[in-house]
Amino acid sequence: MVKPKLIDENGLRIDGRRPDELRKIRMEVGVLEKTDGSAYIEVGGTRIYAGVLGPREVHPKHLELPDRGILNCRYHMASFSVDERKPLGMTRREIELSKVLREALETVVFLDEFPRMMVDIFIEVIQADGGTRTAGITAASLALADAGIPMADMIAATAVGKVDGTLVLDINEVEDKYGEADMPVAMAPHLDSIVLLQLNGRMTSGEIEKGLEMAQNAIKKIHAMQVEALKHRYRIEPEGMET
Amino acid sequence: MIYFTENELVIPGQLLADNGRRNGFGTYVRHGKIYASTTGLARVVNGVVRVIPVSGRYKPQRGDKVVGIVSDIKPNAVEVDISGELTAVLKPSERESTPLMIDIGDCVYAEVKTTGIRGTVLSNEGLQRITSGLLVTINPAKVPRLIGKKGSMVQILRKESGCDFWVGRNGLVVVSGPNPSSEFAAVSAINLIEREAHIPGLTERVIQLLRKLRGGGSGQA
Repeated sequence: MVKPKLIDENGLRIDGRRPDELRKIRMEVGVLEKTDGSAYIEVGGTRIYAGVLGPREVHPKHLELPDRGILNCRYHMASFSVDERKPLGMTRREIELSKVLREALETVVFLDEFPRMMVDIFIEVIQADGGTRTAGITAASLALADAGIPMADMIAATAVGKVDGTLVLDINEVEDKYGEADMPVAMAPHLDSIVLLQLNGRMTSGEIEKGLEMAQNAIKKIHAMQVEALKHRYRIEPEGMET
Repeated sequence: MIYFTENELVIPGQLLADNGRRNGFGTYVRHGKIYASTTGLARVVNGVVRVIPVSGRYKPQRGDKVVGIVSDIKPNAVEVDISGELTAVLKPSERESTPLMIDIGDCVYAEVKTTGIRGTVLSNEGLQRITSGLLVTINPAKVPRLIGKKGSMVQILRKESGCDFWVGRNGLVVVSGPNPSSEFAAVSAINLIEREAHIPGLTERVIQLLRKLRGGGSGQA
């Protein structure tokens, strides 16, 4: 397949977005019944479910830590989530992403509040259209908040890419495939810290700085959506609750 | 200065207060300011900023009364299963000559003595063995509603259904009544509370439901 023209003469992208425009995002919290916390996210064509179980007893037992809890993260893509069938089981890419996402989430979760326990995070990609790791971590942090796991902050994420020499926000699969660079960024907005930063491709240091700024602004918007989704889930008017 | 309204739903990371207040459950301090660490309802209780969680598994805290099932008896400790995958231990005091009259499978009602890295320990004082009744599991986050303000809801349930209740903070509740129909009515009321905990006017609906079920139940019996 030949490389499509990613930026047209009006400066618009292949799906009609402006360079600094996010895709349509939809979030829902508490979608799965058998988990302690769950979330669903749609970012353009990317669809992801995240579920959280625990804190519960550590299994296998030898991983248990006496002074703090452990996180177990599984990022997995469904066989039908991509154009060409993904083989069953965990591929190398999925194992690596599981680790990267776990390390990002570990920075905000208060692990010392549940010693000798573990929290399982499952991120299931139902349909992939670029930006699955960033959407996955956004959904995982919603699911953790829904499960009542103590954490310092939420995590929101998006990617910045470079296509046809232009910096663009929240790249989709086509832009990822034919573009020059892809830089996923995950941040904890209140802590104002970057918890995940990867770069695939080439960018100048100036472009990275500009890209981080674009990502930061977008992450604030995504975080506002997360807060909205959580508030929607727990819209309650309690009265006479005993403390 | 406090940055939330009473009973506002707060999200982890949200700024709650910035001076002179102590921080309680569900919050943490960074640079002298108090932030929420759990999703829940924020409020100030006796000058302490705290968050009442709206979801999540039960987390044992000192002083909580819990209902549990004895899962194992070891030479110097009794293991009690307190909902989900949590186990607590009960240590018989050394001076006590009479051993605890407890067997595997028994249902007990006890207070949490300590929590922490050594696990959850239950207190021997006030330990009760519940001999009969129905064991009901509800979401631990809804237990405060079942208890009500200073136990008002439980009192209503007791009065209207004629059953005894052992309400554990861990979400396990034992109902024991004089006949099956009153126990059935009480369990229905508990389910109603769990389902509609957030809708105002709950007390009225509970009383109505119990009167209806009790009226019909005694007619058939």
